[in-house]
Amino acid sequence: MIEVKDLVRQFKSGDRTIKPVNGVSFELEKGSLSSIVGKSGSGKSTLLSLLGALDKPTSGDVVVDGVSLAGLPDGKLTEYRRRDIGFVFQQFNLIPNLSAVDNVMLPMEFAGIRKAARLKRAKELLEQVQLDPEKQSRRVNRLSGGEQQRVAIARALANEPKLILADEPTGNLDEQTGEHIIELLSSLSRDHNTTILVVTHDRSLAQKTERCFRLQQGKLTEEVRTGSRR
Amino acid sequence: MSVLARSVGNAFRNKIRTAAVVAVLAVAIGLALAMLVANQAVGAKVQELNASVGTTLTVNPAGGQGFEGGGEPLTTAEAGTAASVANVTSVVGTKALRLQTATTGTTGTTQQAGPGGGFGPGGQQATVSTSLVAAIDAGTLGNRNNASGNSGTTGNTGTSNLPARALPITATGIGAEVDSTGKALNITSGTGLGDYNTATGKALVGTSLAEKNSLSVGSTFTVQDKTFTVTGIFDAGTAFGNNAVYMTLPEAQTLAATPDELSSMIVTVNSMENVDSTKTAVQSALGADKADVTQGQRNLETAVSSLDSVKNISLVAFIAALATAGIIILLIMVMLVRERRREIGVLKAIGAPNRTIGLQFVLESLVLVALGSVVGAVIASFASGGIASALISSNTSTTAAPTTQRGGGLAGAVPNGAVPGGGGFPGGGQGGPFGGASQLLTSVTASLSPGVLAAGIAAVFAVAIIGALVPALLTARIRPIEVLRGE
Ligand SMILES: Nc1ncnc2c1ncn2[C@@H]1O[C@H](COP(=O)(O)OP(=O)(O)O)[C@@H](O)[C@H]1O
Ligand SMILES: [Mg+2]
Repeated sequence: MIEVKDLVRQFKSGDRTIKPVNGVSFELEKGSLSSIVGKSGSGKSTLLSLLGALDKPTSGDVVVDGVSLAGLPDGKLTEYRRRDIGFVFQQFNLIPNLSAVDNVMLPMEFAGIRKAARLKRAKELLEQVQLDPEKQSRRVNRLSGGEQQRVAIARALANEPKLILADEPTGNLDEQTGEHIIELLSSLSRDHNTTILVVTHDRSLAQKTERCFRLQQGKLTEEVRTGSRR
Repeated sequence: MSVLARSVGNAFRNKIRTAAVVAVLAVAIGLALAMLVANQAVGAKVQELNASVGTTLTVNPAGGQGFEGGGEPLTTAEAGTAASVANVTSVVGTKALRLQTATTGTTGTTQQAGPGGGFGPGGQQATVSTSLVAAIDAGTLGNRNNASGNSGTTGNTGTSNLPARALPITATGIGAEVDSTGKALNITSGTGLGDYNTATGKALVGTSLAEKNSLSVGSTFTVQDKTFTVTGIFDAGTAFGNNAVYMTLPEAQTLAATPDELSSMIVTVNSMENVDSTKTAVQSALGADKADVTQGQRNLETAVSSLDSVKNISLVAFIAALATAGIIILLIMVMLVRERRREIGVLKAIGAPNRTIGLQFVLESLVLVALGSVVGAVIASFASGGIASALISSNTSTTAAPTTQRGGGLAGAVPNGAVPGGGGFPGGGQGGPFGGASQLLTSVTASLSPGVLAAGIAAVFAVAIIGALVPALLTARIRPIEVLRGE
């Protein structure tokens, strides 16, 4: 359902160009749970933002359910991000002066969901990511890093996207909460047929995904594992 | 949480800055509104002045004016000549008479025997007797004038024993319902004379003269031997002006026994702009040796033109203050958008359409401008009256100062002119005719009309919308990742 075709993204820094993504091709099945590992600075976030239509590739294409992102105008890309993608940023990127609930409600507001329904779902999602109920209406800049990360995950799930792109979603979480988040993501892929791609440093998280890719020198290689987890 | 709630919340995110922005906006908007109000007030006054008094010319015989001077009298034929000049809308002839109270035991004819008239010089004014008594006491000025007037008189015998001086009354024959300066008569009771071009035996009397002689509408009095019926009482606004009688032009010409002569003509020009050229045209049509054409309202024209410049200044100040308000909100919004670039990137990344982002910032800037406008309107409602009258009174002093008094003939030119008794008449004092102009101009007061307010605020809001929309949309158009990665 997601086809990545010979994707290249290069940056100019000074007079040399760097290519963190340099000819990447792969496919993700609908409802699959996959991970990308790689050294810091290897281009994992760059690749993820290309898949999430936050950035445009230098060349190559991403085809989602037969639709090529390269051919879409700005408005359609916005719609794609709103409807089809749930993006968990490495730096969370929450709106600092809004409460946790308001942050989670935002994507639903843009999707035109009625206020009562938005509020109900936002509260359910924050419960699912195990945020203390009394912290739901607290401004997110008064929450800890781990709490903010959970709000960011809840926001990514708000519009029931078909593809979740999560950049280091457990980086700020303690082991137990991290486990829970992984459990939540795998249940989504299992029960809701949501495609999930996670960037992680966490070996144990990578172990639990169906497929694991390694990004190295701009190229993506799949790690071959013996025996499926499931 | 809706877009509006988010915008209002954002507007107050930094309370100290919001207070400062609102305060500065309020001053600029307040000033703009005050200027707009001043502009409207002055504009309305200019229009009023132009419409009422600014377009008349006065034609006197060459070398003569009022009761002074010499030369050949004007004739009805010359009125026709003046009327045929381009841009002239009407010509009203006047014939001035001097009415002298008939004293018991002396007949009016005795008084008329002298070539110069009974009292004072009288080139083109005939002096005739009347049953009326003047409403003004002679006083020092009148008696002094009387003495000098008599010194050259040959027709009066028994100069050794002067009777108590009774001031004459001015009677003017008019060809339309206007006073001797061309201003419409303010009839306070009764009606006008109707047809001003036939002898009707009717007259209009001034308020003080009517009071002095116990006249009311329907009363009668005599001039020479003819009985006149009072059809109306008028108020000229001055003691001198109210010691007067108006009758139809033919009536006055008959009384003076000069059927074709006019004392002066009032020429009305179709518009303010044509006054100067028409003045020249009338002058050359009549001949410089025959007639003097003056613009009675010259001082007013100066006032109007400097009021016009005040109007322009206030308009410029309005635009400048409004532009300042616009620049303030523009810079603030540019700054706010820059500051929240990353946030715009986040909104965009989670699927906010550009219009939602634009709307959010527009609403935020409107909240700021709305607050600024409310505070500014309060400031303006206090400031505008003061600003308008300050502008106009400083303007008045510069107008009045360089204008020199050109003799009695001008005194009546000031509308609502508070000319003291006897002003402009040879027997009168040096009344300040320009006091009236000053009073008039300072009476221009500003008021906050809803339309003015709406126009001013709408303009600021338009600038605010553009100021918020343009930078927000420019930022929203950038790829989210570029904004998110920055800083
Ligand atoms: N806009 C940019 N301009 C220049 N270099 C960039 C830009 N974005 C990313 N890079 C570089 O690309 C490389 C990959 O970055 P990133 O994708 O963030 O790595 P990772 O997420 O794997 O740690 C890094 O060397 C980074 O410095
Ligand atoms: Mg990264």
